Amino acid sequence: MNHMTASEFAEHMARLAESAEPFKPTATYDKDGDCIEFLASPEPFYAERIDDLVTVYYSLETNEIIGSLIKGVSRFRKNLDENLPGWVIEIIDGRVQIVHIFRAHVWQSNPDPASLRGVTYRKLIKVAEESGVEAQLCAVS
Amino acid sequence: MPDPGEKRRDGITLTAVEPKDGTMSCRIFISHGRLQTVASRGPGLVKECAFIVPQILSAPTCIFEGLRWEEDEDRWGYGWRCYCGLPTQAFRRDGTSISPHTGRVYLVFVNDEAVAYNWRWENADPDNLKLPLNHEIRFKQRLL
Repeated sequence: MNHMTASEFAEHMARLAESAEPFKPTATYDKDGDCIEFLASPEPFYAERIDDLVTVYYSLETNEIIGSLIKGVSRFRKNLDENLPGWVIEIIDGRVQIVHIFRAHVWQSNPDPASLRGVTYRKLIKVAEESGVEAQLCAVS
Repeated sequence: MPDPGEKRRDGITLTAVEPKDGTMSCRIFISHGRLQTVASRGPGLVKECAFIVPQILSAPTCIFEGLRWEEDEDRWGYGWRCYCGLPTQAFRRDGTSISPHTGRVYLVFVNDEAVAYNWRWENADPDNLKLPLNHEIRFKQRLL
């Protein structure tokens, strides 16, 4: 573990960025937060929580949906496995298309399609579908 | 995606305010995997991480503890913190510096092992632009 001052950290990030691969849409599981972060576009965003599972990321320049944070992934997966067992057919080698996670949640939580939440999920599902991104799921305990 | 080969303590620490006494005695860990993920997200998000995250950790306007995420209070209870602040700058997609976003605050989320795992802009409380929207119902208590 390496402690850094703010300026050292800025230099560290610059070095990492120089050697980083070009951006591609990703969905990354973070065990520290037990969350999956989905990002379809490499740009600054602001976040708005839409329910207990999903926080949506909006572009600060266009206000379009560009990603999301799925929280409490372990609990969510356990719940799905118990209550929507057919969804496991979408999991291949521990990976699942991010759009299936959103669809599974919508089909379980049944939001009013005309509500802001329902409209937001439709847009988010479209962005996720177009990205074709897969996420690695955490193991079920 | 999780990296099975990543050591849990492979990363860096930054200095942060300790909310119990207001001193700069707290150290917040960020994993190397997280930093590598951010590094590939383009100049704007890289600079947010590089410049705004340390600023918020060292000079927050407020710190909350206990993230209220329904039905899982045990795991997401006390110990989880949210550092909130007003950055002195923001960044465009290409990394150029601009004025901070009016009506928004920057949040850094830290788990009960002092690991920062997420950071982002969010809407501010219209009654107090130094606080995040709905802070009254999102967090269990305000520490600072």
